Amino acid sequence: MIRSIALTKTALCVMLLLTSVFAQDTLGGRKLPSVTLIPPGVADISKGKSNIVNLDFQVGPGFHINSNKPSAEYMIPTVLRLDPPTDITVGKINYPAGEEMSFPFAPNEKLSVYSGRFTVGVTVRPLSGVLPGKYEFRGQMRYQACDNAACYPPKQLPVQFEVKVLKAPPPHRKNPPQSPNVHN
Amino acid sequence: MGVFVKRDPVVLIIVAMVVALMLVFGFNMARKPTPTEAASAALVNHPAPNFTLQSLDGHPVQLTDYRGRAVVLNFWATWCAPCKIEMPWFVELQKKYAPQGLQLIGVAMDDASPKDIADFAKEMGVNYPILVGKEAVGQAYGGIPFMPETFYIDRSGKIIDSVFGLKSKGEIEENMKKIVATVASPQTSK
Repeated sequence: MIRSIALTKTALCVMLLLTSVFAQDTLGGRKLPSVTLIPPGVADISKGKSNIVNLDFQVGPGFHINSNKPSAEYMIPTVLRLDPPTDITVGKINYPAGEEMSFPFAPNEKLSVYSGRFTVGVTVRPLSGVLPGKYEFRGQMRYQACDNAACYPPKQLPVQFEVKVLKAPPPHRKNPPQSPNVHN
Repeated sequence: MGVFVKRDPVVLIIVAMVVALMLVFGFNMARKPTPTEAASAALVNHPAPNFTLQSLDGHPVQLTDYRGRAVVLNFWATWCAPCKIEMPWFVELQKKYAPQGLQLIGVAMDDASPKDIADFAKEMGVNYPILVGKEAVGQAYGGIPFMPETFYIDRSGKIIDSVFGLKSKGEIEENMKKIVATVASPQTSK
C-alpha cells in the first residue's frame, strides 16, 4: 500500500514535470526562445571589500542572444541591471566575451552572441556598517534572442539572488614592539 | 510486469494517464500550428486588413492607397539581423518589379524613434516607404511575435501568402512574381 502511494506520487510528479516542460518551451509546437537564470546558491561575501558573485544563465537550444558588446550598433546588447539592498553597492558587472558566430542568414558576418550557458560576474561591496546576514538582490536582464531565421522582440528576465554578509573576522592584533631593555 | 500490475492497479491507471497525456501533447504539437501561423494562415486568401500608419516623414498612409498594385508588406525591426539581410534584396527587387506594379512596404515594429528608423533605412538604401508600426496593426496580421514576417498581397488586396523568418532571395522573388501576375478586380482597384 505504502509502495503504491509512493509510486502514485512519483507518477504525478512526472506528469507535472511533463506538463511544465511542454508549457514552457513550446507554443503550439514552435519552440520559443528561453533564457533562464540557473538558481544561484547564497553567496558568502565579506564586509568592506569587493566580492564577485557569479550568475549563470542558460539560453535555450537553437537560440542565441546578443552579447553585451554586439557586433553592430543596431543590435540590442544583453544588459543586467540590479537594485542592491541598502548598504551594499554594486560595482562593475563583468560580462563574458561573446562567441563570434556566423548564421545561415548572414554566412559572411560574425556576430558576437551568447548561446548555451554563460556567466555574468557581479561585483558587490557591503559597506563596513552593514549588519551580517542575508540580503536579496533583484533586477532584470534585458536580452534579445534570435534563431537561425528570425528574431524575437527584446525581453526582460527577472533576476533574483541572495548574498550572506559574513561577520568580520576579529582584527589581527600585533604584539606591541618590546623594548630591547625589558628583559635586560 | 504482470505480477506488478496485478498488485498495483492504481499504478497501471497512473501510467496509462501519463502515456495518454504524452500522446495528446505529441499529437497536438505535431498538428497544431503556432497562434501566429494559424492566425496568418487564416488571413491567406482573405482581404489584407487595412491600416493607417505614419510614414517616417509623418504622413498617414493606408494600405488601400496601394490597391491595384501588388504589395509586399514586410514587418521588420532595426534590431533584427535577418531583416537587415533581406532589405538589400527588397531594394533590388522593388527596382526590378516596380514597373510591373510591385510595391514594397516596410512596417518597422520596434521602439526606436522615427529618426533612428529613418537613419537605418537610409543607411540600407531603402527605396520603398517605411511606416512606423503599431501593436494593433501587428495583431491584425497575426501578432508578429518574431521578425521578419512578410505578406504577399495581390492587386485586388487579397493576401496570397504569408512567410515567417528569412527566406532566400529566390523564394522572395518567386512570391513577388505570383502577385505581380495577378489582375486587379475592377471594383477594388484604386
